[in-house]
Amino acid sequence: MMRALTFVLPLLIALPLWAGERHVAPGQGALANAIAEAEPGDVIFLEAGRHLGPVIIDRPLTLTGEHDAILDGAGKGTVITIDAPDVTISNLTVTGSGLNSQDTDAGIKILKKADRAIVKGNRVLGNLHGIDVHGGRDAQVRDNTIEGTRDPRMNDRGNGIYVWNSPGTLVEGNSVRWGRDGIFSNTSRTGIYRNNLFRDLRFAVHYMYTNDSEVSGNVSIGNHLGYAIMFSNNVIIKDNLSLSDRSHGLMLNFANNADVSGNLVRGGADRCTFIYNAHKNLIYDNRFEGCTIGIHFTAGSERNVLTGNAFIGNRTQVKYVGTRDIEWSFKGRGNYWSDHSSFDLGGDGIADSAFRPNDLMDHILWSQPAAALLTGAPAVQLIRWAQSSFPATLPGGVVDSVPLMTAQAVTIPPKYLAMEAGAALRRNESSFDDFDINDLASH
Amino acid sequence: MSEEKRLPISRRSLLGATAGGAALAGAFGSRAMLTGTAVVGAATLASATSARAAAGAEVGPGQLDEYYGFWSSGQCGEMRILGIPSMRELMRVPVFNTCSATGWGITNESKKILTEGLLPDTKEYLAANGLEFPPNGDLHHLHMSFTEGTYDGRFLFMNDKANTRVARVRCDVMKCDKIIEIPNTKAIHGLRPQKWPRTDYVFCNGEDEVPMVNDGKILDEPEKYVNFYTAVNADEMTVAWQVMVTGNLDNTDCDYEGKYAFSTSYNSEMGMTLADMTEADMDHVVVFNIKEIEAGIEAGDFIELNGVKVLDGRKGQNKKYTRYIPIPNNPHGCNMAPDKIHLCIAGKLSPTVSVIDVRKLDAVFDEDADPRSVVVAEPELGLGPLHTCYDGEGNAFTTLFLDSQVVKWNIEKAIQLYNGDDVDPIITKADVHYQPGHNSTVMGETLEASGKYYLTMNKFSKDRFLNVGPLKPENEQLFAIDGDKMTLIHDGPTFAEPHDSILVDPSKVNPKSVWDRNDPMWADARKQAEADGVDLDDWQEEVIRDGNKVRVYMSSNAPSFSLESFTVRQGDEVTVYVTNLDDIDDLTHGFTMGNHAVAMEISPQQTSSVTFVAERPGVYWYYCQWFCHALHMEMRGRMFVEPRAS
Repeated sequence: MMRALTFVLPLLIALPLWAGERHVAPGQGALANAIAEAEPGDVIFLEAGRHLGPVIIDRPLTLTGEHDAILDGAGKGTVITIDAPDVTISNLTVTGSGLNSQDTDAGIKILKKADRAIVKGNRVLGNLHGIDVHGGRDAQVRDNTIEGTRDPRMNDRGNGIYVWNSPGTLVEGNSVRWGRDGIFSNTSRTGIYRNNLFRDLRFAVHYMYTNDSEVSGNVSIGNHLGYAIMFSNNVIIKDNLSLSDRSHGLMLNFANNADVSGNLVRGGADRCTFIYNAHKNLIYDNRFEGCTIGIHFTAGSERNVLTGNAFIGNRTQVKYVGTRDIEWSFKGRGNYWSDHSSFDLGGDGIADSAFRPNDLMDHILWSQPAAALLTGAPAVQLIRWAQSSFPATLPGGVVDSVPLMTAQAVTIPPKYLAMEAGAALRRNESSFDDFDINDLASH
Repeated sequence: MSEEKRLPISRRSLLGATAGGAALAGAFGSRAMLTGTAVVGAATLASATSARAAAGAEVGPGQLDEYYGFWSSGQCGEMRILGIPSMRELMRVPVFNTCSATGWGITNESKKILTEGLLPDTKEYLAANGLEFPPNGDLHHLHMSFTEGTYDGRFLFMNDKANTRVARVRCDVMKCDKIIEIPNTKAIHGLRPQKWPRTDYVFCNGEDEVPMVNDGKILDEPEKYVNFYTAVNADEMTVAWQVMVTGNLDNTDCDYEGKYAFSTSYNSEMGMTLADMTEADMDHVVVFNIKEIEAGIEAGDFIELNGVKVLDGRKGQNKKYTRYIPIPNNPHGCNMAPDKIHLCIAGKLSPTVSVIDVRKLDAVFDEDADPRSVVVAEPELGLGPLHTCYDGEGNAFTTLFLDSQVVKWNIEKAIQLYNGDDVDPIITKADVHYQPGHNSTVMGETLEASGKYYLTMNKFSKDRFLNVGPLKPENEQLFAIDGDKMTLIHDGPTFAEPHDSILVDPSKVNPKSVWDRNDPMWADARKQAEADGVDLDDWQEEVIRDGNKVRVYMSSNAPSFSLESFTVRQGDEVTVYVTNLDDIDDLTHGFTMGNHAVAMEISPQQTSSVTFVAERPGVYWYYCQWFCHALHMEMRGRMFVEPRAS
């Protein structure tokens, strides 16, 4: 009985709100008038057609509409500015923002103190920035389709979703294409960015100083770079896909204390993963496959743990640049290396010989395939041989004492496979203005 | 994607430096890799040394370097002189710091320089804390004086961010001769001498925003804060004028025509928190119109604030003192190219460098042209571009902080790319170790720029050197440039924390080996000696009593002081003047008074003086602390302090 009562009471309170639904037909100033007359909690319902913005929503209300309702900023400023808490924008087509970067023009902008905004199910097309979460806390940006501009100058484009200083932002289930970065998260924290699809962008996810946050279940296809996690602490990066991204799949640059797991990078990125001056990260159960370099690990990255990862068919499995010796396994569990030929006589899933996947070895194997005959020999012997052949190389290197015999699988939904194939086809169509961080040859 | 995975590892047990790691120890015999004490391999420099030889950059024992390098030292507060390409440290010149070896901050001559330019309220603050001058400084940028676009070897100018000061070092003796505190503004960061026609001004950026009158009446009201751009009269070391601006000021440079100066601003937002400072996608560079500012002063369009003529160049004033050019995103470096045309602004949080054609600035001032119309290229170079220097052949070197790389690129090609041509401006990239800030080429900020050597100043050394504890040195790396090839020839660990450097042809610098006896550095001592009837230029062994003040004049000739003892009374204020009569190169003497916190340098033909209160009765030895002679140890004498009559 009590349970039923508590269930009914909110309904009774919510009901009068529906009385405040206002239908607005396209017309000069009609939407602005409707907002000006609205009571907190009202629903403004846009009828099909082109409604002219920009508009500022300065009280808690819901702005939604018919499928063909278009809100057009006519090239001036931000199309919808949310300047009140508890505002919902849904099911609209939002287009025609200005292109002024200084003012961060956007399709939808959520200002400071406009907390708990919900932006869902919109089509946000051809604006400078798509959705700019600009200080409002606990915003939800869900299930939107965002397409940016394709200006030849990357700096003249904006980000699909721009999160600045907006703790608690949830970005989920969006599809972002074109423009600059899919999500640019700058000076924020405790955000959750999950299950989004990013295509044809510079960075799918671009992090700068966003601590205590999560990037999970996202799909990056055909971008210059998949996930650039930079200068941020305590980020959970799990179960993301990077398919046919060009330069890096997953990059940690001074990302510390991250949990990186269950991710798949596949398909010819220069580096499946690039660990650069990043420390104390747990990197486990990921699959890095078919890149020029499987993992590039450098710049004094310290106290990272790698276990349970699979390195499959990368031209160079590991490029380690450093002067220290490091072990890549944990509690008797190393990683799977597709080029490690070894027996498992004990039948425990652990290879009987250690794997030394340093660049010295790779270099030998690629330049002198006959050396592969030696891979069954004790690793120490091989390294000695290598050192005498390449005396100028710095000491230090990676060893996996307990390599795994099998790689874990990651399944990819079929709809992404077609996109992956298409992106691979388009890879050669880049111009020099494209963001080029490929040229890191001497790392 | 896949189902929720459970973390197979407890982070606490794994990464905590003190947590138990028995499992790991069992697995690997050591948990060293998780506690930061990784096994260090025996690093070899063999490859770097051979690279140096191959590049023809070897400087053998006894050989002189090709170039001078003048170095800042950040929070050490001193200036340093290095030899290029050997990277040998040749000298340290104390400026904002105190120096145990030379007595900078102890001698009367240095104290005068350290105190005479302080503002009255600063002196009050220091007195309340038992200080005469700030004991610290933060010397980021140093630059030589110019005549017609190149170094003239007269002075070096440098900033103190910590205590808002500007100092000048005389290149003839490599000693600081002037320090002034800049009123109104806070935290002088970027600093540059005027390049053309000569260094009449030194331009100084105030980084920190404060109320216009900072007397405590306005506190947390950021909308009332301002920033000031300061022009220092370089000859007199006085403030010529200031301009109030919108946004803060970071780095500065000026053109080769004497018309414009420029400052980057990473906080156009006037934000007070890190978040607020990173809010805008575009910040700006401020352009200062020097002739208009001078005309404004002439016309009386200023207010006077703490004795300084201050013009209002903030946005929305519709004056022709300033213009604001939008630049993405928290820009930092500000470097004028030796082609006299292009100014490169590094984007820091944007992977781009914005190239401004300074010839287009007239239209922005005179015809209100779109400020962005002056941007003629904006190449994407890599992550975290900070500073740019030049080879004099149309190419630029930009440091990439996040990528830990330097990128060499061609300015003309960047312009072509901006205009839609299918060209790649990037010539090459080279790794640096790690996280570079400023960079330098030989004479790179003058019309005589050359690309023979490239120096990058890295903020971290990490694993490049033997571990010396938690505090690690910085790392400076020198490259030899050969066409498009950059060969790393030197890792140079340095103590905190060189920010900037200039590499100077020795033909520009001609320091003395011996002081001129008429040097103004000890003019006060000379005046006092004349009053006391002492000839400061000859053998002297006078002790003059003047009430409870005692002046002790002694000369030094290796290996002895002219006075082998002198007597004072407890409580006397004693001033010791020592004149080094040796005029042999490198024959520096010192004077250290044991147990009296007194030490100073007296180089050949120099006079130095120091004052202390002889508050302890007894016998105290003074000695020469700069090695001078086979009988150096014997070069000492006694001070007798008679007890106060009870």
